[in-house]
Amino acid sequence: MRIVAMAPIAGCGRIGARAAGTAMLCALLAGWGAGAAAADVTVTVLDNAGHGVAGIVIIAESDAAVPEKHAVHTAIMDQQHMQFVPRVLVVQTGTGVEFPNSDQIQHQVYSFSAAKTFKLSLYAGHKYPPVVFDHPGLVTLGCNIHDGMIGYIYVTDSPFFGHSDGSGQLQLHGLPPGNYTLTAWHPDLEEAGGSTLQLHLALADNGRPAPVFHLSRPLRSETAHDGDKRWTDY
Amino acid sequence: MDRLLIGLLLQAVLLTPSLAAASDFYAVIDLRAVASDGERSFLNGGLGELRFDDQHDGARVGSISLGYHHAFFDIVHFNANAVAYADGDRSPLDLTEFYAEIRPFPWHSLRSRLKLGAFYAPISLENRLPGWRSAYSLSPSAINTWIGEELRTIGAEYDLDWLGRQRGHDWELGLTAAGYGFNDFSGEVLSVSGWSINDRQTTLFGRIGESGNGPVAGLREFHRDDDQRLGYYAGGTAKYLDTLELRALHYDNRANPNTYSYALLDFAWRTKFNSAGLRWTPTAHWTVIAQWLAGTTIEGDSGFNTAVRTDYYAFEYHAAFALVSWQRGADRLSARYDQFEMHQTQSDDTFNNNRGHAWTLAYERELGKSWSVILEALQIDSSLAMRTSIGEPVAAAERELQLAVRLQL
Repeated sequence: MRIVAMAPIAGCGRIGARAAGTAMLCALLAGWGAGAAAADVTVTVLDNAGHGVAGIVIIAESDAAVPEKHAVHTAIMDQQHMQFVPRVLVVQTGTGVEFPNSDQIQHQVYSFSAAKTFKLSLYAGHKYPPVVFDHPGLVTLGCNIHDGMIGYIYVTDSPFFGHSDGSGQLQLHGLPPGNYTLTAWHPDLEEAGGSTLQLHLALADNGRPAPVFHLSRPLRSETAHDGDKRWTDY
Repeated sequence: MDRLLIGLLLQAVLLTPSLAAASDFYAVIDLRAVASDGERSFLNGGLGELRFDDQHDGARVGSISLGYHHAFFDIVHFNANAVAYADGDRSPLDLTEFYAEIRPFPWHSLRSRLKLGAFYAPISLENRLPGWRSAYSLSPSAINTWIGEELRTIGAEYDLDWLGRQRGHDWELGLTAAGYGFNDFSGEVLSVSGWSINDRQTTLFGRIGESGNGPVAGLREFHRDDDQRLGYYAGGTAKYLDTLELRALHYDNRANPNTYSYALLDFAWRTKFNSAGLRWTPTAHWTVIAQWLAGTTIEGDSGFNTAVRTDYYAFEYHAAFALVSWQRGADRLSARYDQFEMHQTQSDDTFNNNRGHAWTLAYERELGKSWSVILEALQIDSSLAMRTSIGEPVAAAERELQLAVRLQL
């Protein structure tokens, strides 16, 4: 995930050109929570053998009032070798997402998910302005020319989100005290409840909790993609 | 259809600058070094089951393939694929496919597609490269060789897709139905020559082989319908993530087998079959493909009162293959086992039966973005009763080793 600050705010800015292990200091971005005993929380995702699981979307949503939104950002969902890159993107509500096409062939990107319905007519290169994702929820992306291209944008109101890194961890910075719902999501999770896991987190002053998601089943195999040949839909 | 028309159409789409600027174009030059001990090939009036025989190996043109795609109004996709084999076809450069596909954006999870023109029915799970070339070997399986030789949908096909993955499901489903003409004589090559394994597709306006009822007739040509009866096929597809694809199809050219063509000196062949296949990609490195096809073809059915003659040839046939392919980076290694059989169930004179199996091993290495080399070893062990009519033994063990150098532009 590449997140580019369109209007940087003092004390924050561009965070995490690489998605894994990064979280947005959105509380700082908005100045929200300043002066409170904000805490850093390390969330861990472990498989049933105790190993860290990378790439899981993690979101902390406060049970209190919805935090202010951070400044408008733009994220990028590229198209490379007939795949969406990254395959999974998580953004805050109101974020604009660019859809450049880095392939040599044209794509035709669409979504008819409830959280965002849009379509981009056939194009190559960097043709369209960012698409603003203004409602929370899961948006599934497709390409009408290449049905095998599937991507996901998880849109959340919360400013506290990110992906677990190679050791299965994500640090969420600057969470004010309060009660939170922690959500772990990935399209390849095959837990009893589906592709979403949730934990409740009570964050006291000066607390440094370390919540852990334990997966009971391995992630479904990564989507098979046998090369970047120009498969034709025969 | 006239070759002048093809030329004009190709010129129109390939040379119009405003179109070409926003279009996809490819060209693939495939040159081969071939060593073969095969029986006389169909290209040389024989009944061998390989493309290249022991008298015609050495340096050969595998194919020169050209393709063009252009989208109009965002949802209309025009496609043309052409090929040259340099083997004496009456059309030195000719189309294999020429069609328009109307492909609107999905409506919720449903999408309709309509194809009009000349194109391949959705049967092969090997032939995934532009120009309907196999992605796994030089020579496709016996089933898909036959599809390339005798079948083309020249008509219209409608597809309805349910894009379940867009709704959080793991499956996508599709239904297909088509009506077509120009296939009244599909089945003749199979009934005369039996199953073969080669990558020599029949072109839309080309002709290879002899017409009539000679022992090596096997005419490869798409000819206009004489019986004015449309053929049809209907089938379905199911895809599980990107891991598994299942296909099934029922095909019936609905030809009147008593229709006689004075141009071809032949009766029509009523050809029906069922086919099924799966492609399983358990990891990014491994692919498994299996296909099965079984059916009948009948010529000169005396049950039709309009018979010019009452000859009655009826065949049953089936074929199957399993293919395993491993890829890592620029290397791909594939192995395939084919099994095939055909037998005559009725005849007024000669019976022609065919049975055999084949092993194919292929290794491909990509050399950068444009170049690749492919080495393929193929052995077919078969029996074909018709071979006695040209003085050859019924049984044959044929081997072919090909090294292809490909340049893709």
